[in-house]
Amino acid sequence: MTERTFRGGVHPDDGKAYSRDAALTVYEPKGELVFPVSQHIGKPAKVAVSVGDKVLAGQVLAEQDGYVSSRIHSSCSGTVKAIEKRRTVMGGLAECVVVENDGKFRAVKGMGTKTDFRNLSREEILQKIRDAGIVGMGGASFPTPVKLEPKNPDGIEYVIVNGAECEPFITCDDQLMRTHAGEIVTGLKVMLSLFPQARGVILIEENKPEAIEAMTEAVSMEKNIRVQPAPTKYPQGGEKSIIKVVAGKDTKMSQLPAEAGCIVDNVSTVYAIYEAVCRATPLIRRAVTVTGPAVKNPGNFIVRVGTSFRELLDAAGGLADGAEIRKAIAGGAMMGIAMPDLDVPVQKASNALTLLTVDGVEEADKKLTPCIRCGRCNEVCPMGLTPQMMGVAAERKEYGKYENRLYGLECISCGSCTYICPAKRPLMQLFKDAKGAILEARRMAQQGGGAK
Amino acid sequence: MTPSVSYNVSSSPHVRSPLSTGQVMYDVILALMPATFFGIWHFGVHALFVVLMSVVSAVLTEFVFDYLTGRENTLYDGSAVLTGLLLALCIPASVPLYIPYIGSVFAILVVKCFFGGLGKNFMNPALGGRCFLLLSFGSAMTNYAVDGVTGATPLARLASGETVNLVQMFTGHGGGVLGCSAFALLLGGLYLWVIDAIPWRIPVSVLLSFGVFMGLFGGDGFNLPLLCAHLIGGGVFMAAFFMATDPVTSPVTAPGQLLYGCCVGVLSGFFRVFGSSADSVSYAIILSNLFTPLIDELIIPKPFAYRNSAADAPSGGFRKSMLPALCAAVCVLGVSVGLLRGVAGVTADVVEKRQLSENLTVYRALLPDAVDFSIPEETKQAIEALNGAAWGSGFGNAVIREAVSATDAVGAAAGHVVTVRTMDGRDGPITLSVGFLPNGTLNGILYSELNETPGIGMKVEEESFTGQFIGIPASTLSLGTEIDAASGATISSTAVLNAVNAAIDFHAAYGDKMN
Repeated sequence: MTERTFRGGVHPDDGKAYSRDAALTVYEPKGELVFPVSQHIGKPAKVAVSVGDKVLAGQVLAEQDGYVSSRIHSSCSGTVKAIEKRRTVMGGLAECVVVENDGKFRAVKGMGTKTDFRNLSREEILQKIRDAGIVGMGGASFPTPVKLEPKNPDGIEYVIVNGAECEPFITCDDQLMRTHAGEIVTGLKVMLSLFPQARGVILIEENKPEAIEAMTEAVSMEKNIRVQPAPTKYPQGGEKSIIKVVAGKDTKMSQLPAEAGCIVDNVSTVYAIYEAVCRATPLIRRAVTVTGPAVKNPGNFIVRVGTSFRELLDAAGGLADGAEIRKAIAGGAMMGIAMPDLDVPVQKASNALTLLTVDGVEEADKKLTPCIRCGRCNEVCPMGLTPQMMGVAAERKEYGKYENRLYGLECISCGSCTYICPAKRPLMQLFKDAKGAILEARRMAQQGGGAK
Repeated sequence: MTPSVSYNVSSSPHVRSPLSTGQVMYDVILALMPATFFGIWHFGVHALFVVLMSVVSAVLTEFVFDYLTGRENTLYDGSAVLTGLLLALCIPASVPLYIPYIGSVFAILVVKCFFGGLGKNFMNPALGGRCFLLLSFGSAMTNYAVDGVTGATPLARLASGETVNLVQMFTGHGGGVLGCSAFALLLGGLYLWVIDAIPWRIPVSVLLSFGVFMGLFGGDGFNLPLLCAHLIGGGVFMAAFFMATDPVTSPVTAPGQLLYGCCVGVLSGFFRVFGSSADSVSYAIILSNLFTPLIDELIIPKPFAYRNSAADAPSGGFRKSMLPALCAAVCVLGVSVGLLRGVAGVTADVVEKRQLSENLTVYRALLPDAVDFSIPEETKQAIEALNGAAWGSGFGNAVIREAVSATDAVGAAAGHVVTVRTMDGRDGPITLSVGFLPNGTLNGILYSELNETPGIGMKVEEESFTGQFIGIPASTLSLGTEIDAASGATISSTAVLNAVNAAIDFHAAYGDKMN
């Protein structure tokens, strides 16, 4: 029997009450839409349009470049206004295609056509997913087609739909499961058709009883698919935690889920697969939660990729009365990315806009004390690392020890250690610095070796 | 309106747990409250002053140090309060108030601040303070108002077949240091355990390893009441739940904590069985504190994904990394025990001379013809073997403290002096010395500790009473026949007589071997 939960983890206030019961609402953007050409891990897509071109919703703006890369589609109809560097969620400036939205949302021919996936070959299904530009929509944005083509498809035991949504504040997957259970199950069946030996598992945290109910009902006729509720604990939705809970295996950073016999995809991604394969619709819309104490009417929205976060806030009624944003986060409070302002486009992997009136980091800095070596960070690390020692090594820039003795590169950046630390040590920040320095040194060494 | 200012940007996670360093400290302080209140209730208002003195001087020391060195004020983290409180609970309630003051200043200033403050101290500050006090003010620190739980006394009684009230020891009515109630400490420890404030591995491994060690090497096997007495007495609970679990000075990894706990338990047992000091546990923890960096450096658990794969043989890596740590620990232990033995050997004579000189005036007064005094090896060992237990039966709580033999100017035997301390005085302990002439007669008694009621019990000090002990044969005396009680002071007289009889009995047993 497999374990019901993973070791370690924390229980932050989930903040889901703000938006958990707000039904998904379609929001159509008014202003220009901005499409970064790199919304995925891997090589940026190659721009395939020129300024002045007329484009339709679903039309390719930038073409996949190489195996680990992904297409970018326009999500509206209009005119290409500029191809220039704009600020993105990642904080820096990046190449973007800017489309002036004509407000008509005319789609390319054939989009929305119903197709029965059972009539498609394996290669046709993979091609449709590739063409739709699907990437992991839970946050990692790894190109999905790459995941779906492991070396040994027969070795896959589990195709797991990640409905854990363990991140505080985010509720869009919850709502998607409640209202689109059938489509998600069909998406899972599309994936299962690629892996003859695999069983389907839909893993949902116990704090989403409605979603568990809806999905359980949707799979009631499916012999090969089960819904697995999991105790509410962060980071349950981490890929490695899920594999541990479903397959009972610990995986190293260097191991792909497929090596443990698992394919893991987020609920939204599975829904996108359904849309791509059965509805001939590329990834141009996604569910986004706009939430947090600073938002007047927190809610869940179906949003076109490229929409500005500022528009989304307006769609949610703007700021709550008297609220002042201290922190704007693309994503949830545990792993989301803090943004300096809201004039940033929604990307394929943007699952939420969380606006906080109190910045936990700012407050924590006021209570910073030296490490008292209490070891709570070691207890909560879901990977079994020793963050206390990693923190010391990173602070002293002992990168050799950090990497080789402490296995510091196995850190999944879940932030549990930093969350629990009573001394309010900025552990994640230290780890990011250390990982960056180690990987940079590695790159330099490789380049040096190549030049000889 | 949407503000145009830029928002805070920082690394995730953007929310933090409500737990703070101060909270961690205050949880422990809260857990110590039952023991503190019991101590104050049991020992009286002086205990409250000891606690206040200790806490206030700890806090003030840290404040002054922070101020003088231009450091950020660190009082809010609560660690100084905790150190002061822990120290107060580890010293007898009857000490003069300068003792907790000196202890707290040493703990905070020397052990903590000088080494970098919170999180940087290499040993538990409170225990550092306590050991400093033990070494500097040994008599005050072991002078328990009520015959102590801490130390070997009740344990020795138990071993010699007498009964000790285990329940009384457990509740703390047996006396001892201020935080003597094992029950109250256990209550606090369990509270910390339940709220997850201390790692369970440390108290469990300390208690288990200590119990097993005492069972194996304590000399009485797995004798349950005796083991319980060992566990309840001598501050083992205090150590297991509050001292050894000090996060700063204990390892941060799970296997490291187990090893450290066993280290504390075994060393405590080792020192208690083979060492001379009753404070085995304090020294065991301090020594283990010193091993902590070594344990942390050598035992780093592998990530889960690396633990059971074929490449990393099960527990192989773990055991391999344990070996050098264990070897190092054993070596360090061996060397330190050797050193201690060596130092003890070198200093034994000096210690003996000094001890003699303190009592020399008394001895000279009792044996005016004597010139030179020495402590014979035979009686010294006999007294040590008693380990603080009362001498014989029928003499009440009379403990033999010292026996010396004297020689005159030409080197001929000039008699013996036996010093006895009895707990049976009306108002406190009485210590007296009895002079024995070579011809087998008594040559008087002298008090070195007497706190009886003025005008009543103190009459035993008068010449009319003490004079009776001169020139009579050294055989068991009784009131009304050889000796008349001091008028109106029967309790005190009886106590003195019993003490003198104990000395006579001891002299009868060892007198021949003293020359």
